[in-house]
Amino acid sequence: MALDRSMRILIVDDYATMLRILRNLLKQLGFENVDDAADGHEAAQKVAQQKYDLIISDWNMEPMTGYELLRHVRADPANAHVPFIMITAESATENVIAAKRAGVNNYIIKPFTTEVLFAKMQAVFEKQMAG
Amino acid sequence: MGHAAEKSGSDLDLTDLAERDDERIPLKDVIALAEKVTTALKPLVRSLDRSMHQELKEILQAIEGLRSELSRVDANDIFAKRIPEMGRELSAIVKATEVATDTIMNVAEQVLAADKSDPQKYAAEVEQHMMAIFEACSFQDLTGQRVTKIIHTMEVIEDRIEVLCKMIENNNIAPLSSGELTDREKRNRDKLVSGPAHDGEGVSQSDIDAMF
Repeated sequence: MALDRSMRILIVDDYATMLRILRNLLKQLGFENVDDAADGHEAAQKVAQQKYDLIISDWNMEPMTGYELLRHVRADPANAHVPFIMITAESATENVIAAKRAGVNNYIIKPFTTEVLFAKMQAVFEKQMAG
Repeated sequence: MGHAAEKSGSDLDLTDLAERDDERIPLKDVIALAEKVTTALKPLVRSLDRSMHQELKEILQAIEGLRSELSRVDANDIFAKRIPEMGRELSAIVKATEVATDTIMNVAEQVLAADKSDPQKYAAEVEQHMMAIFEACSFQDLTGQRVTKIIHTMEVIEDRIEVLCKMIENNNIAPLSSGELTDREKRNRDKLVSGPAHDGEGVSQSDIDAMF
């Protein structure tokens, strides 16, 4: 699937401000079909009920982290291939490696710019198209 | 009186001496009496010695126990690690808010100074600036995480001070084990959660890009 402005995106972060920022940035980039969840657990419930074209998630959340959500999504055959971008302040090498091994499609370190977000979204979908 | 004079040596006791009225006591009687008194006091001295030894032993054990518990408070961990780390987090918060404030004010000034003669161009410019404000507002997420770390450190220090206070009041209170991770620290370790890295620490976005 190509990067399509009508795609359904799920954004996950425990900071309401961050969700608001992400929603606004995505809106400015032309993506208005956006759902949100306040933690991994809520996101997992939404993913079980609704098909998403892209998941953008924070890492550090309770009770379920973004990493756990990623593993949960990848373990579900129906969602195993849904593009997943991690946007987080966790910048330890072991985090990036763990996320990559778990199947994350891209990894963005906070704070980030709109350009970086869009570039990573593009990269993820271009890679999917090529693959 | 005659009664006292009749006795001597080991037969002599204090009553006999008290009853004497000649005020002359032979040296051998004094020595004999001193030996008698010493013999009589021996069990008392031995028991006093034993009880004093026991008391000293208990005091020593109490001091050792207190020293062991004090070491569990781990002042070194608080002063060498936790408090400096709080300082670094606070500095990072100050820096992040300063950068965000500066960015937002710059954007506001640019919007105010923008040319309004062309409404379309002006609208596009304002929209672009608003994006920059959204980006700058993301500082709140990072500072929130840093504040959470500080609060947690303060809770750990508070717990240890409480242990110290209780030790002073009552030495029977079991203190927090030194060097042991708290439940939150264990949870964070297991879930690879360490929060925002400081400048120069962690991997950069370009390093990550290379990995992907």
